[in-house]
Amino acid sequence: MAKLDLIGPVEKAMRMLSLFDVDFYDVVASYSRSLNISILGKGIKEATSHVDVGIGVRVFKNKGMGIAFSQSLEDNDIEIIVKRAVRFARVSQPDPYFKGIPGPSKVPEIPGLCDDEIVNLTLESVSQIPKGMIEAAESIRRGAMYSGGFAASHVKAYLMTSTGVSVGLEKTHASAYIQPVYREGDDVGSSYEFDYGTSLSNINPHWIGRRAAEKAIEQFGSKKIKSGFMPLILLPEASGDSLFFNLLAALSGESAAKGRTFASGLLNKQIGPENLEVLDDGTIPGAVASSTYDGEGVPKKPLKVVEKGTVLTFLHNSYSAGIMNVESTGHAIRGGYGGYVGAGPSNIRVKPGDSTLEEMIAETKRGILVTRASFTPNIVSGEFSATIDEGFLIEDSEKKHPVKNLMAGGHILNLFRDIELISKEGRVFGGGHFFPAVKIREVKLSGF
Amino acid sequence: MENVKIPVAHITIVVYWLKDLLEEVVQKGLSEGASFCEVRYFEERSSSIGVENGIARALSSGILRGVGVRVIVGGHWGFASTNIPTRQSVEKALEDAMGGARSIMAYTGEEAKIVEVKPSVDTVVHDVKINPEDVSPEEKVKRVLELEKDARTFSDRVKDTFISYRDVVTRVIVCNSFGTFLEEVTPRTVMYCRVIAKEGENMQESFEALGNVAGYELIDGVNVEDFSLKAAKRAVRLLTAHPPPRGTYPVVVDPRVGGLFVHEAIGHNSEGDLVFSGQSIISDKMHQKIASRFVTIIDDPTKRSYGHFTYDHEGIKAKPHVLIKDGVLVGFLHSLESAAKLSGEPEGSARAQSHHYPPIVRMSNTYLAPGDMTLEEILEGIDCGVYLSGSQYGYVESQKGQFTCKVEEAWLIEKGELTEHLRDVAISGLTLEALKNIVAVGKDLRMEMPGMCGKSGQGMYVDAGAPHFRIDGIVVGGRR
Repeated sequence: MAKLDLIGPVEKAMRMLSLFDVDFYDVVASYSRSLNISILGKGIKEATSHVDVGIGVRVFKNKGMGIAFSQSLEDNDIEIIVKRAVRFARVSQPDPYFKGIPGPSKVPEIPGLCDDEIVNLTLESVSQIPKGMIEAAESIRRGAMYSGGFAASHVKAYLMTSTGVSVGLEKTHASAYIQPVYREGDDVGSSYEFDYGTSLSNINPHWIGRRAAEKAIEQFGSKKIKSGFMPLILLPEASGDSLFFNLLAALSGESAAKGRTFASGLLNKQIGPENLEVLDDGTIPGAVASSTYDGEGVPKKPLKVVEKGTVLTFLHNSYSAGIMNVESTGHAIRGGYGGYVGAGPSNIRVKPGDSTLEEMIAETKRGILVTRASFTPNIVSGEFSATIDEGFLIEDSEKKHPVKNLMAGGHILNLFRDIELISKEGRVFGGGHFFPAVKIREVKLSGF
Repeated sequence: MENVKIPVAHITIVVYWLKDLLEEVVQKGLSEGASFCEVRYFEERSSSIGVENGIARALSSGILRGVGVRVIVGGHWGFASTNIPTRQSVEKALEDAMGGARSIMAYTGEEAKIVEVKPSVDTVVHDVKINPEDVSPEEKVKRVLELEKDARTFSDRVKDTFISYRDVVTRVIVCNSFGTFLEEVTPRTVMYCRVIAKEGENMQESFEALGNVAGYELIDGVNVEDFSLKAAKRAVRLLTAHPPPRGTYPVVVDPRVGGLFVHEAIGHNSEGDLVFSGQSIISDKMHQKIASRFVTIIDDPTKRSYGHFTYDHEGIKAKPHVLIKDGVLVGFLHSLESAAKLSGEPEGSARAQSHHYPPIVRMSNTYLAPGDMTLEEILEGIDCGVYLSGSQYGYVESQKGQFTCKVEEAWLIEKGELTEHLRDVAISGLTLEALKNIVAVGKDLRMEMPGMCGKSGQGMYVDAGAPHFRIDGIVVGGRR
């Protein structure tokens, strides 16, 4: 199946579309093969595999868009979706912001996105990975019940447009996670660890299993704490989910350009300290969020988003770029062959600061060390109210017991404004994202 | 108006050879060493419209179809799927599923075992009044634009309005080695409205959703006051709302927040696969009192709401499930596997997003049974609390029983009266504490949360509801 022809069906759809009186069109076909071994309860539960193929068509007529897709690459099904997309484009209404779709560009080479070992993988050959995670967790403490698994996939896609884009992409992905649950009476010790990358060599099952068990055991004896104002130290897992993904999502695409997010008015405004720098780079070799081109065929390139604490740019696809009369930054995201094209970040890299985590804790008389949280704000207003999923009380500069049933609230931009320290160490995710630990001066917390 | 059946004639021809193919692959699986074999055909035809600020920007349609094959070999599960429903591809999927199960046979782990059940042989086609496929795209666009216009023109503070419309027909055929051959065709129609209001630098948004196992009649008959206009009024109202206080309060929840609470706090914890695998906080609490006497919680797939179905994706006829009766845990939701491991009865709770996924235990329409109080009676006696209205999203860590619910708007309760209007409120709680702290339940049960629930990477149609009820000691995430 890896040799499945995607170009033929795409060209067939393009030929059919050329016969209609429409303004623009594009066709994408994709193939993916996924293998998964799941862990549940006492250990390995299930081995699954699936092959998915599909083709999607976007047609524009008088600035109106019609979309159709199918999981069949057969000639008659392609004809059906082509006719349907053309019909829908004629029924849809002119979108004044639409200015066309991108033309061809020279596409760069990015090494390390496709691992032959994953392309040729069998379930037999990878069952050692979930087994390794369980054994590593058991080596720390026996008797857990588990959830988790290992997954690997190989994806090929081909995109052609009426403006002359003709590009192919081949990528692989591997991920593993495990969550042990230990019980002592009604007390629960539970946490998880994970990793992901473009090649099998990115996955270290023994590290994942050991870390998950250690983190789970640390969660015993969690306590509620009183409401108050306290500093937060967000570890990289929490700083990425709570700060940087949220900020870059709010700076992306038409929502940002049309003034519909809390970040719409932030261009050229300082939102954080002078040492805050954020780069978006979809060209990092071997990174999961890298690709040679974006969802519209525009080449990826590094983009400095925040420098000296100041927002420099939005992340654009061609539609949002058209609204602001600028060039696309190559951040179009196409959700497979389903047709819709949005925009979003690729690899987010936050510049390391000059503190150590130990110094951050040592300088905190009373605060919370947040090991897992996602402070998802209201994307329109920027206000958030969210649970600290895992964290520890810091008292007299020492990490104490885990906390539970504790919420943080505020405005996401106040978190950036109140960044006090950025750590020099951090964690790389998916071979590309880099997030340091971040200390926030003071956050409102709701407890008992 | 008479009900009509969704026409399936154009693929009925397919079904005759498909039936033979599915049955032959099941037999082949058994002959090659599987102790259980299930072959499931899935097809979904959908059509959608996106309207933004008076413009129908995009219309789309899609067809998903394929076959999933699941086997037990040597006490291990294997599953594989294909998009291509030809003999060669389905037999290859069987080979891959068998190979998958064999690939993990060397490891001790979670044994695959299931209860033996009587075969189901049936065809169910849910009827509708107006088949969406009989309505032209032009007519649908016209109707959605009408609904959107009322929201857009409600106030000059309305900045943006969006309505997304979708109709979808899902066809599932389950064939397994118990002799089950079951086919169910389910039409669903759903519409979401989002309104952004703005005044100066202050922006707020509001949502409304409408959906059911239904045809186009759902859209034809909608009252703007209950849908788009409602969202617009709320978005504008939120502009003058205040941040919530923080701390622990008695809260009164409306049917939407109540539905979200029931779904997140107890529903997921009742899913049999999470129970047998030790991932639920109530794994060891069967027949114990885990909630106050006012609490009876039911999951009912037979109720005609968004999560309705007649047979689950293992071919089991669905029944209502009582999870908690008068505060006592009396039931879990089951698949064939969880029923075997927890000595329960499978009553139709296993569903899969598509042919690419094996069935797992899912909720359907989950609700708190009504009590006998009015809202005024529930509010009485609360000196200082928070009234929560409208749900946005929620999640639960079932292992710890810690849940979070994000709500749309709220009011302070002072001396039994709703006073200050609040926005961007979320609550957090611990399942086993919160259930015991439900101290008053209203009589006004409503199910109005049509949506998709995510679990193990699979999205599934569900609904949830409740009457108004009061929970004491809930943490309100505030900003003042």
